[in-house]
Amino acid sequence: MTAVWSAAWAAVLRRKLQTIVIGVVVCAASATLVMALGLLEAAAAPFDRAFAAQQGAHLAAQYDADKATGFANPAAQATAGPFRQATVDTSEGEVFLGTLTVVGRADPGGQVDRLAVSQGRWATGPGEIVLNRTPGAAGRIGLGFRVELPGRPALTVVGFAHSVTGSADAWVAPEQVEALRPDALQVLYRFAHAGTAAEMAAATAGLPRDGLLGTLSHLTVKDKATSELGVFIPFLMIFGILGLAVAVLIVANVVSGAVVAGLRHIGMLKAIGFTPNQVMGVYLVMVSIPAFAGCVLGTVAGNLFAKPIVQDAVEGFGVDDLSFAPWVNLVAALGMPLLVASAALVPALRARGLPAARAISAGTATHTGRALRIQHWLGGTGLPRSVSLGLGMPFARTGRSALTLASVVLGVMTVTLAAGVTMSMTAYNDAVRPHFTDRVELMAGPPPGAPAVRPEGVEAPAATLSDAEDEAMLRSLPGTTAVLAGTQLDAEVAGGTQKATIRFYRGDTAALGPRVLTGHWPDGPGQVVVPSRFLNQRGLAVGDTITVQALGNRTQVKIVGVVLTNNADEIFADWSTVDVLGPGTRAATYLVRMATGTDRDAYTAAVKAADPGLQVLPPRDGTSSTAVIIISAALVLTLVLGAVAALGVFNTVVLNTRERRRDLGMLKSIGMTPRQVTVLLVTSMGALGVLGGLIGVPVGIAVHQLVVPLMAQAGQADAVDILMNVYHAPLLALLALSGVVIAVLGAVVPARGAARLSIATVLHNE
Amino acid sequence: MQNADAVVELTNVRKEYSDSTALDGVSLTVRAGEAVAVMGPSGSGKSTLLNMIAGLDRPTSGEVVVHGTDLGKLSETGLALFRRRGVGMIFQFFNLLDDLSALDNVALAAQLTGTTAGQARKRALELFGELGISSRRNIYPAQLSGGERQRVAVARALMNRPALLLADEPTGALDSKSGEQVMDLLLDLNQIGQTLLLVTHDERLATRCATRLIEVADGRIARENTLERA
Ligand SMILES: Nc1ncnc2c1ncn2[C@@H]1O[C@H](COP(=O)(O)OP(=O)(O)OP(=O)(O)O)[C@@H](O)[C@H]1O
Ligand SMILES: [Mg+2]
Repeated sequence: MTAVWSAAWAAVLRRKLQTIVIGVVVCAASATLVMALGLLEAAAAPFDRAFAAQQGAHLAAQYDADKATGFANPAAQATAGPFRQATVDTSEGEVFLGTLTVVGRADPGGQVDRLAVSQGRWATGPGEIVLNRTPGAAGRIGLGFRVELPGRPALTVVGFAHSVTGSADAWVAPEQVEALRPDALQVLYRFAHAGTAAEMAAATAGLPRDGLLGTLSHLTVKDKATSELGVFIPFLMIFGILGLAVAVLIVANVVSGAVVAGLRHIGMLKAIGFTPNQVMGVYLVMVSIPAFAGCVLGTVAGNLFAKPIVQDAVEGFGVDDLSFAPWVNLVAALGMPLLVASAALVPALRARGLPAARAISAGTATHTGRALRIQHWLGGTGLPRSVSLGLGMPFARTGRSALTLASVVLGVMTVTLAAGVTMSMTAYNDAVRPHFTDRVELMAGPPPGAPAVRPEGVEAPAATLSDAEDEAMLRSLPGTTAVLAGTQLDAEVAGGTQKATIRFYRGDTAALGPRVLTGHWPDGPGQVVVPSRFLNQRGLAVGDTITVQALGNRTQVKIVGVVLTNNADEIFADWSTVDVLGPGTRAATYLVRMATGTDRDAYTAAVKAADPGLQVLPPRDGTSSTAVIIISAALVLTLVLGAVAALGVFNTVVLNTRERRRDLGMLKSIGMTPRQVTVLLVTSMGALGVLGGLIGVPVGIAVHQLVVPLMAQAGQADAVDILMNVYHAPLLALLALSGVVIAVLGAVVPARGAARLSIATVLHNE
Repeated sequence: MQNADAVVELTNVRKEYSDSTALDGVSLTVRAGEAVAVMGPSGSGKSTLLNMIAGLDRPTSGEVVVHGTDLGKLSETGLALFRRRGVGMIFQFFNLLDDLSALDNVALAAQLTGTTAGQARKRALELFGELGISSRRNIYPAQLSGGERQRVAVARALMNRPALLLADEPTGALDSKSGEQVMDLLLDLNQIGQTLLLVTHDERLATRCATRLIEVADGRIARENTLERA
C-alpha cells in the first residue's frame, strides 16, 4: 500500500513491546470506561431501568368487586386485570410471613407488570403459590415450602418472582384465589405520560370511581425504593468518574509517550523524504492499530467482567437481566479511539514541525536547566548513586512524570476513598445492627395488635411467667449484667401517610438501647426519640410535638432526641408511654447482656428452665446486604483502578528505559550492577509514588467528606461523626504507602527487564 | 600457558550470534604495559573482542581471563564489580550522561565504588587538570566539542585507576586534529605504564601509539606485528 501504511506497519511489528503496551493499556482503559459509564448509567436510574424492563404498572388500583362497574381508563395505554386479590394473615401459621396481598394471576407476562420469575416456575394449579422476592435476596424459605394456615388450603411455594412496584406479595392461579377469600380486585395501568406528579394526576382523572378502594402510584413506590438504595448512587457516581479519569489519563500518557519515544525515527523518515503530513500519518496509524484492537477487546471484556460488578450494585432494584445501554458501548467504542487519536495528535503535530536534524539528535530526554540543577544537587547528597540518579529521572520528562503522577494520585485516591467508605459503612452497620456475641435475645410473645416478627420455622413463644417475673428472673440469673425489656406497637403518625412502629423500652436502656446521637433518651411519658430519616422525611425537628395513635388510643409526644437506626419509620419511647397507648401491655422481648466468659448454651438452658415459654432467638447476623455489596464493590473497583494506575507506571518505565537504554548500558559498562539499575528505575517511580500518596490521601479524604454526606442524604439520614471521622493515623500512613505500592508494582517488571538487558546489544544498536 | 605478567588471556574464544559468527576461535595474550591496536574491516569482530575482555558480553565458548579472573565464572553482579575497578572503557560515541555535568559524569564512576561525592569530585578535578579540560568541568555534554567529550570519557575510564584501558574507535567520531590529541593522550598514558587495548581504523594512529598490532578478519586473528613506535 502507501509508504505511510508500510512504515507504520513496520513500526508496529518492530516495536513489539510498545505495541503490546498500547494494546493492553487501551484494552484495560476501555474495560474501565465501560464499567465506569455502566456504573454512572446504572446509578442514575436503577429503578427506572427495572421499571422499564418490567413494563411496570404506573398505577395499581383496588376496587370493591361488588360496587365496581368498569375499569376502563381512557388515558391508559395498557391495562392488566382485574385480578382477584386476597389478604392473607399468616400470623397463625407455622411461619410468619407478614400480612400477604395474594393476587390470582394466570400469567406472569402481559403488557403491564411483566413479572420476572427468578426461581422455580409460575403457579398454574391448585395448591401452588409464587412469592415476591428481590432477585439475589436471601430468604429462609425455599422452593417446596408449604404455607399452612387454619381454614385455608395448604399452598406449596413453586417459584419466586419479582414485581418492581410490589403489585403483590404473592401470586396464585386465578381459580386458587377463590379459596383464599378475595376481598378486592386489582387493576394495573400503564400510561403514555406518567413521569411527573402532574402527568399522573391527569392520567388518573379518567379512572372509574365506582367501588374504587385505593390507588398506588409508581412515583410513590419509586420514592421509597430510591431512598432505600439511593445510598449507592453517590458512591457509584464517584467511582464511575474516577474510572473515567484514570482511563483518560493513562491513554494520554501511553499514546503521547509512544510518539515522543519515536522522535529519532521521525527524523529519519523525514530525512528519506516523508512529508510532514506523512510522518504524522505514520505515527497516528502506528498507535491506532494496537489501540483499535485494544478498544474492541476492552469493550467486550468490559461487558463481560464489569457487568457482574454493576449487576451486584443494582440488583437490589430487581434488575435481573442487566445489559449496558447501547450508548455505553457506543461511547466506549467511539470515544476511546477519539481519545487515542487526540492524545497522539498533540505530539504528532509537534513531530510534524520538527526539523529533521533536531529530531534525529533528540534521541534522549530534553534537558531543562532545572532538571540539570536538581540532578547536580542530588549527586552531591550522601545518597547511593543509583538512588540519586533515579530521583533525578522524573525531572527530565516533566510532562510524562506529571501524567504518571496523576494516575498514581487517582489510584491512591480510590484506595483512600474506598477504605473510608468501607469504614463508614461498617461503622453505620455496627451502629444500626449491632452484632454482639455477649447478647441473648428472648421473645415472650407477640406484641399487642400485630404478630411480632420472628424467625421462620420456630414455635410461637408464650411466656409462662408474668412480665415482672420474667425480668426479675433474668436479672437474678448468674452471668446477667444488663436487661432491656421491649415491645412495639404499630402506630399512625398524624399528618403522615406512612405508618410507624413505636418501640418501647424498659430497663438498661443506656447499655442496650439504641444509640442517642443528639438530645437524650426519653426520661418520662410523652417523650420519644426518632432516627434522623424520620425527621427528614416528615420535615420535623427535635423539640417538635407529634400526635401518635395506636390500638385506638391517641396521645401527643415530644421529640427529645435523635437515634441512629436504619429505618425511617421507627419511634422509640420509654416504657412509661406504653401505659398511655396500650395499658397493661407486657414486654414482648428481652435483650440480655451476659458477663464475659458466660457460656451461651448454659445460660439459655437456664432461661428455658425458668420459663419454658420464652423463645431464644438465634444470634443476629450483623451485616446488611447493602453494606456487603458496597464494600465488595469498593474492593473490586479499588483493585481495578489500582491495577490500571500501576499499568500507567509500567508504561512510563518502559518508555524511560527505552529512551535511556544507551545511558543504562553505559552505566552498566562502568560497573553498575543489575540490582543497582533496578534500584535506579524503581526509585525514579517510587519518588512519584511517595508524592502521589501525599497528594492522593488528602484528596481522597476530601472526596470521602463529600460523598458520605451525599450517601447519608440519599438514605435520608444525617452524616454523623462516626461516619465522617473514620481515618486515623496508622491507617493514613498505610494509605499513603499505597502510592508507593502502585509505583513499585508497576515499575519492578520493566526495571528488572532493563537491568538484564545485554550491554553489548544496547551499545551495538546505538 | 599461564603468563605471569599477562593482563588479558583469551583462549579459543568463539562468539556466535543468531545469524553470524562474530569471533571464530581467538586466542590472545596482552601483557602489562603493552599498547595493543586491533585493526580490521568492518564487521570483522573487533568490538565483539573488546566486549568480551570488558565483561560486557559472554563468549559462546572459550575462556576469557583478565587479571587472573576467569570472567566466565562471574555472575552478572560479579561482572559489574569487575568492570568498576578492573577495566576502563572508552567508546566511539562517548556515552556520557546528558543530564550530568562533565565533572559529575566522571565522578560517577568513583561514586559507584562507594567513594563519597566530595572525594569523587576532587579526584575528577585532578584528572580534568591532567587532561587539560579543567575549564569545562561544569559544562554539560551537549555543549562540549567531540574532542572534549572524548577526553571527559577518558577521564571517566581512568577514574578508578584500572589496570587495563579499553578503547573502541576512540577517534572514530572526531576530526583529525582532536583525534590526534586523544591519541597523544593515550600514548602518554601508556608511556607511564597504562596497559592499553584499542580498536581503530586509522593505521597511522595505530602505528604511532601501539607496541603491537593485531589484524582481525572474519572473526579470526589474521596477522600480528610487533611495532617500533614512531
Ligand atoms: N548484538 C549483536 N547481535 C547480533 N549480531 C551482532 C551483535 N553484535 C555484533 N554482531 C555481529 O557480529 C559481527 C561482528 O561485529 P562487530 O561489532 O564486532 O564488528 P566490528 O569489527 O566492530 O565492526 P565495525 O568496524 O563496523 O565496528 C557482525 O557481523 C555483526 O553484525
Ligand atoms: Mg565496532
